[in-house]
Amino acid sequence: MQDNDRQLEFVDVNNDIVHSLVETGRTYYICLGIAIAVTLACFFFPWFYQLHYGIGAAGMNQPTVWGTYLASFIFWIGLSHSGTLLSCVLHITNSSWRKAMYRSAEAMTLFSLVVAAIMVMVHVGRPWFVHWAVPYPNQMELWPNFRSPLMFDVMAITTYLTGSTIFIYMGSIPDFAAVRDRTTGWRHHLYVLLSLGWRGTDREWHRLGWAYTFLAVLIIPLAVSVHSIVSWDFALSIVPSLHQTIFAPYFVVGAIYSGTAGIVTVMFMLRKYMNFGQYITTLHFDNLGKLLLLLSLIWTYINIIEVFTGWYSGTSTEIESLNYRMFGYYGWLYWEMIAFCAVAPLLMISKKFRTSFVPMLILSIAINIGMYTERFLIVGTSLSRQYLPDAWRTYTPSMIEISILIGSLAMFVTLFMLFVKIFPSVSIYEVKETMDLPDAAKESDGEATWQTTS
Amino acid sequence: MSFLDRFNENWAALRKPGYYDKFDYAWTMTIDLDRCTGCEACVTACQAENNLPIVGEEEIAKGREMQWLRIERYWEGEYPDIKLRFIPMLCQQCDSAPCETACPVSATYHNQDGLNAQVYNRCIGTRACAVYCPYEVRYFNYYNHHWDTPLDQQLNPDVTVREKGVMEKCTFCIQRIRQGKDLAKDDGRRRVRDGEIQPACAQSCPAEAIVFGDRQDPDSHVAQSMASPRAYKVLEDLNTAPSIVYLKKVAADAG
Amino acid sequence: MSNIERREFLKLIGAGSVGVGAGFALGEANKSPVEFLVPYPIPPEEFSPGIATLYNSVCTMCQAGCGITVRTREGRAKKIEGNPLHPVNQGRLCALGQAGLQALYNPDRITAPLLQIGDRGSDAFVETTWGEGIARLTNQLGQLDDRSGVVLLSEGVNGHLAGLFELLMTELGSDRLLHYDFEYPEALHAANERLFGEQQLPYYDLENSTYLLSFGADFLGNWLSPVHYGLGFGKSRQDGAQRGHYVQIEPRMSLSGAAADEWLPAAPGTEGILALGIARELVAKKYSGADKAAWARALESYTLDYVAAATDVAADTVNRLAHEFMAADAALAIGGGAASGSSNGVDALIAVNALNYLVGNIGKSGGVVFNPPRAFGATSKTQRAGYQQMAELADSAMAGEIDVLIINSTNPVFTLPPTARFEEAMGKIPLIVSLSSFMDETTALADVVLPSHTYLESWGDHTPDPGVAFPVAAISQPVVAPLYNTRSTGDIMLSIAQQLGFSSALPWKDMETYLQDRWRSLYAKGAAGAESFESFWQSVLQSGVWGENSKRDSGPARLVTGAINKIAVAPPEHAGASDEFPFVLHPYPLNSIRDGRGANLPWLQELPDPMTSIVYGSWVEINPVTATELGVADGDVVSVESPGGTLTAPIFIYQAIRPDVIAIPIGQGHSEYGRYAKDRGVNPLQILAPQEEPVTGAVALTGTRVKLVPTGRRVELVKTGGVSRELGRGIVQTTGGSHENADHSAKLKSIPITVEPA
Repeated sequence: MQDNDRQLEFVDVNNDIVHSLVETGRTYYICLGIAIAVTLACFFFPWFYQLHYGIGAAGMNQPTVWGTYLASFIFWIGLSHSGTLLSCVLHITNSSWRKAMYRSAEAMTLFSLVVAAIMVMVHVGRPWFVHWAVPYPNQMELWPNFRSPLMFDVMAITTYLTGSTIFIYMGSIPDFAAVRDRTTGWRHHLYVLLSLGWRGTDREWHRLGWAYTFLAVLIIPLAVSVHSIVSWDFALSIVPSLHQTIFAPYFVVGAIYSGTAGIVTVMFMLRKYMNFGQYITTLHFDNLGKLLLLLSLIWTYINIIEVFTGWYSGTSTEIESLNYRMFGYYGWLYWEMIAFCAVAPLLMISKKFRTSFVPMLILSIAINIGMYTERFLIVGTSLSRQYLPDAWRTYTPSMIEISILIGSLAMFVTLFMLFVKIFPSVSIYEVKETMDLPDAAKESDGEATWQTTS
Repeated sequence: MSFLDRFNENWAALRKPGYYDKFDYAWTMTIDLDRCTGCEACVTACQAENNLPIVGEEEIAKGREMQWLRIERYWEGEYPDIKLRFIPMLCQQCDSAPCETACPVSATYHNQDGLNAQVYNRCIGTRACAVYCPYEVRYFNYYNHHWDTPLDQQLNPDVTVREKGVMEKCTFCIQRIRQGKDLAKDDGRRRVRDGEIQPACAQSCPAEAIVFGDRQDPDSHVAQSMASPRAYKVLEDLNTAPSIVYLKKVAADAG
Repeated sequence: MSNIERREFLKLIGAGSVGVGAGFALGEANKSPVEFLVPYPIPPEEFSPGIATLYNSVCTMCQAGCGITVRTREGRAKKIEGNPLHPVNQGRLCALGQAGLQALYNPDRITAPLLQIGDRGSDAFVETTWGEGIARLTNQLGQLDDRSGVVLLSEGVNGHLAGLFELLMTELGSDRLLHYDFEYPEALHAANERLFGEQQLPYYDLENSTYLLSFGADFLGNWLSPVHYGLGFGKSRQDGAQRGHYVQIEPRMSLSGAAADEWLPAAPGTEGILALGIARELVAKKYSGADKAAWARALESYTLDYVAAATDVAADTVNRLAHEFMAADAALAIGGGAASGSSNGVDALIAVNALNYLVGNIGKSGGVVFNPPRAFGATSKTQRAGYQQMAELADSAMAGEIDVLIINSTNPVFTLPPTARFEEAMGKIPLIVSLSSFMDETTALADVVLPSHTYLESWGDHTPDPGVAFPVAAISQPVVAPLYNTRSTGDIMLSIAQQLGFSSALPWKDMETYLQDRWRSLYAKGAAGAESFESFWQSVLQSGVWGENSKRDSGPARLVTGAINKIAVAPPEHAGASDEFPFVLHPYPLNSIRDGRGANLPWLQELPDPMTSIVYGSWVEINPVTATELGVADGDVVSVESPGGTLTAPIFIYQAIRPDVIAIPIGQGHSEYGRYAKDRGVNPLQILAPQEEPVTGAVALTGTRVKLVPTGRRVELVKTGGVSRELGRGIVQTTGGSHENADHSAKLKSIPITVEPA
C-alpha cells in the first residue's frame, strides 16, 4: 500500500496507524479465528478435562512433581521480561530507536504475564482455591506463608503485572486521543473512555513525561526482581543442581534473552503483516541483534559456570544430576539448547546477518525454542535425580501437556492480535518525535501531537 | 490486641531459642537397619491404616504410587560378594523441614508435638513441598481415587480420604497420637505412657525394627534407642533435623 | 426495555419457563440419591459409634496361625493387627495377614451359591439357593451305592474343622480326605521323620541362636512362620548379649539372603552336599558322641575338596563355616526353599538336620526343640497330600474311580504342575463342588459352587504348625456380619450331613456349637484354670489364644535306627540336558502373594517386591553377566523354554543370582481369581518338567533346566524403585564389628551446619 522509500510525514504516521486499527482484512479475521480455535481446542478443552479428572492428565510423577506447566510458566514470565524492561531502559537512556517498537514490546510483556498467570492455574492441583495464596483479611486469620518463595512469586508477579499495565496504558493515552479524533462509532466511544479526556495541553504533556519516566525507573528493578524471585522457587529448594546462587542472574539473563528474541519475532510479524515497514527498520533489527548477541554470551557464560560448579563440587548428587541433564534421557535436548542458544546466536557477529529480516526471524524463534528447552530441563531433569537414587524416575510429558503448551502460544497470539486492533501498536507521538519538524506550509491535522516534553 | 501486636508476639516466640523444647511431646521414631528385613509388612500396615488408595498398574508405571512408607533397596558390591541393604523411607518429620517453607498457603506446618502436619483442606496443590523435600516422601493425589465396592468399607473412619490435587504424606499416624492423648486425659494422666501410642508400621514390624515414642522422656524406649552409637540420620548434612533416627546396619565380617 | 412488545414479552416468558422447567428436570435427574445420617439413639450391642471394637481371632491366610486383633468400627472391619498375646506373632503381622481384610471386602467374592449351566469352565454360572445347591450335592451322594469315590480335598486345616471333615467322610464311607497346600513343607516333614522319627516339625529357636546356617530357607519371606522367625531374627540380632551371625546358602538371594551376614551361592541343589561337608568337619574336629564312628563312616566321602568341587563353594569357606558353626554358643541349621526343592530335597534336609544333631543343639535354647503333639487338628484319617498323592488322585479320576470331588479353598489347578494332569482328570469326575469364596482356576471348573465365608466371618479354630514348643490354640470368631449369602465351611458340612441323615454322628446345629463342644473337652482335660466352661470360653475369645504352659521334655536326641548309615546326598539331577538348556530354573514364591493365594488382594499386588520393587506381574531374574552374554536388558521379553513347556516374561537383571540359574516368581499367571489377579504375569509351575524327588515322589521345584530365547519385544517393567545403588551417598550406613556395643567410635561422619537461633 505504501512505498517504503517514501518520506514519512506526520500525517502519514497518523494515517498509517489509524488504518492499522480500523481497516481489517479477511486474512486477519481468518488468522484470529484460527488462533481462537486453537486456544479453545488445545488449551481450554484439555484444561477443563484436567480440572475434571485431576492433574493426573499430565505426565508428572512421584519425584518429578513439576513439569511442563511450570516450565511454560517460567518461559512466559521470561518472555515478558524484555518488553517493559527494555522499553524502560531505553526510555531513560534516551535511545530514540526504541520508539517504533516499544509499544508492541510492552504488550508482549503484558500478554506473556497474563498467559503465565493462567499457567499457574493450570499447574496447581486445586486452582479453585488458588486465591488462598493471596493475603486478604479473613475472619479465620489465615494468612499465606510469607516464608514461601511461591508467595514471593505471587507478590512479585502481581506487582509487575500492575506496573506493566499502568506503564503501557499511560504511554498510550496521547495515542488513544489521536485515534479518538480520527474514528467514529463504537471505536470513538471506546477511545473517549481510554484517552481519559486527553487534550494535549502543555501541562498534560509535562505530567505525562514526568510520570512516565518515574514509572520507567520504578519498573527496572521490579523486572529484575521478578525473575530473580521466580528463580528462587528453585534455588531456595535443596534439589541438587537447582540449589545454586547463580540462579537469580541466570534466570534474569535468560528471561531478557528470550524476551528480546521474542521482540524480534514480533517486530518481524508487525513489519510484515501490519505494514509497519516504515517504522520498524533494519536499525531495530541491528540493535536488537547486538543486544541478543551480548545476552547470548552472558547466558553461555552462566551455563559454563553452572556445569563447572556442579563438576567442581565433587559430590555425587550434583554430578549425577548434571550427568543426567547432559547425557541422560533428555541429553539430546540439552545439546539442542546449547546449539540454539549458545552457538547459533554467534552468527549475529555479522552485521549482514543482523540486518537480514528472515534469518533474524528464524534465529529468534530458535532461541526461544532453546530457551523453552532450558526451562523444561531445569524442571524436568533436576527433580528426577535427587538425593535418594532409589526414588529416581524419568518424567515424560503427556499429550495434554503438549497440547496446553501449544494452546498457550495460541492464546498469546490471540491476545496480541486483539491488541493490535485496539491499541496503536506503534507509538504515534513518539515516532513523530524522531522525525524532522513538519514543513510549516503543510498543515497537520490540527493536533499538537508533535509536541514533546522530553 | 491488634493483629500486628499478636503477630509480633507470636513471631518473637517462634524465634526464641529452645522453641521446640517447650512442645508437649517430641515424637521420634528409630528404625534399626540391623533388624529390618525389608519384608514390607509396614507398607501394608500403613496403607490399611491411612486409607491409601490402590492406584493400579498403569499409574505405578507412570510413577505415581501411593505409599507413604516405602522400602528402598541398595545393592553393594558385585556378584558373588554382593549385599542388598534395605531402608524404610517415610516422612522424616524434620524439625527444620524444607517443605514447610515451601508451601505458599501454610498447608504444611509444624504442630505442637513437633510433627510436620499436613492440612489437606488448605492444600492448593502447588507441589512445592514435594520438590523441596529431599527424602521424596510426599505423595500427590493426581486423581480422585476409587475403591471398588465393597473395598471402601475398609476405609478407616479416623482418617480423611484425600481428594484430587492434594499433597499427602506420613503423619506418624496422628489419629492414633490424638486418640492416645485423649485416653491419657480421660484417665487423668498428664502424659501418655511410653509405648501406648504405636503407629501402624511400628505395630506391625515383625523384626521389631521400628520404635516410636517421645524423645523428651529419657526413660522411653525410643530415647534409649537413639542413644545407640549406631544412630545416624539420613542426609543429615542437609541440616533438616529429622525426627527419624536410623540405627546403622552392622556389617559383620565373614568369620 | 421499553420497546419490548406484549407478544414478544409472552414469548420470552414462555421460553423462560421452558428453560426453567428443563433446568429443573436436569437438576432432578442429576441429583445424587439422598443419604441420611442415621443417629444411633440405641446402638446395637456390639458397638458404640465412634469407638472401635476389637476382636481377637486367628489368621488363616497361611499355615503359621498368627493371632490377630481385628479393629472394627460400626460393624465393619477396619484393620487387622497382630494379637500381642499370641506366642507365634506377639502382636506383629505380615503383609499377607494384614491384607486379609481385602479377602473379606474383595469385590470379586462369590456372593451366592452358583450352578454351572454350561460346559465346565464356560463361566456360565447362575445363582441358586443354598437349598438347591446343597441338594445337588446330596442327591448325587444319595444316588451312590458305594461312596468310596467321594473325595474331599481341602486346604490345610489345622483346627477342629478337620475333625468335622473326618466325621463326615467316615459317615460317607470314603477315606479320600486330603489336605493339599502348595506350601506344605512335605520334604521337611519327611526329613524329620526319617532322621528323628518325629511326625511334627520341630521348633527352630532362632531367637536364642547365635549362629544360623540357613540352607535355602527363606525364613523371613515365606518359610513356615515368617512373622515368628522375623521376631526371632530381630531379637537374635540386637536383643541378646551376642549378635546372631547368619549365613544363607542359596542360588538366588532371597529376602533372608539379604538379611544374612554372608550369602553363599552354592551350585543349585548342592546345599545338602555342603551340609555334609560341614558335618564331616564337625565329626572330625568336635563331635564326641557314641555314634562318632558311624558318622565318620557315613560322611567319609564328603571331603572338603569333593564338597568344594560339587558345590562351587571354596574349600576354605566350607572349612571356615564348619569351624564357626562348631565354635558358636548356640548354632542352628535350617533348610528349606531351594534346598528342599531339588531332586535330592529330603536327603539335603536330613543332612541339615544332621548338623543340628552333631552340634548338639537338640532340645536346647537356640537349637531345635521338638514340639509336643498339637492340641487338636487333623488326625491320621486325613492325608496331607503332596504332589504324589495329588497325582494319584488324578490317576484315580482318570480311571473313573472318583464320583464326587468336594474342594475347599484350595487351588490345585493353579499350583500343581501340568505333569500331575489334575485339570484333565477333573474332566472325568461327574460332580465337582467347590466351597471357595473366590472364583479361582479350580472353582471355575466346578459344577456347583457353595461359597464359604472368609475367615473373618466364620467360626473356627487353629493350632499353629509348626508349633512354638508348647501347645497353642486360638479361636477364630466372626468379626463382622456375613457380607453375602455365604456360609461357613463347617456349617456347609453340617448341612450336608443333615441332608444325608448323619445327624447322630454330626448332631451339631452349627459350627459354633460344634466348636464349643470340642473345646469343652479341652476344658475337661483341666487345661484351663477357669471356673466354668463358659468363663473359659469367654476368656479364650477375649484373649484370642489358649496355651498350655508346658514344654515337652524331649530328652537326649535320638535318631531313627540306621538313619546314620543312610545319610548321603546325591548330586542334583535336572530335567533337560545342560547343553540344550543351560539354566536351572528357580521358581520361588513371592513374599507378598506367596503361592498365588494373595494375588486377588490389591494391596499385595501393589506391594513392591522387596528385592526388585516390581509390582503387578512376573519377571525373569538373570545374572548381569549372563544378561550381557545373551544381549538382553531389563524389560526384554524372553521366551523361557523347558522340556515341560514354554512361557514368556520380561527380563529383570538381578544382581545376586548365580550365572547358571534363572529365577521366576510363583504366584502370578492366574487365568481366573478376580480382577486384580486375572491375566497378569506367568506361572512358572506350568513349565516344570517331571524331575522327581524320589522320597516324596514330588516334582522337584528346582529340578528343571531351561533356555532363554529373546523374542525381540520389550516392555517397561512396572516397578517403584529407581536406581538401586547408593553412589557413595551414605544412605544406608553400616558399621563394622559384630555388635553395637563394640562400636562406640562410629560417630557420624557428616558435619551438620548448626544455626544459632537469633
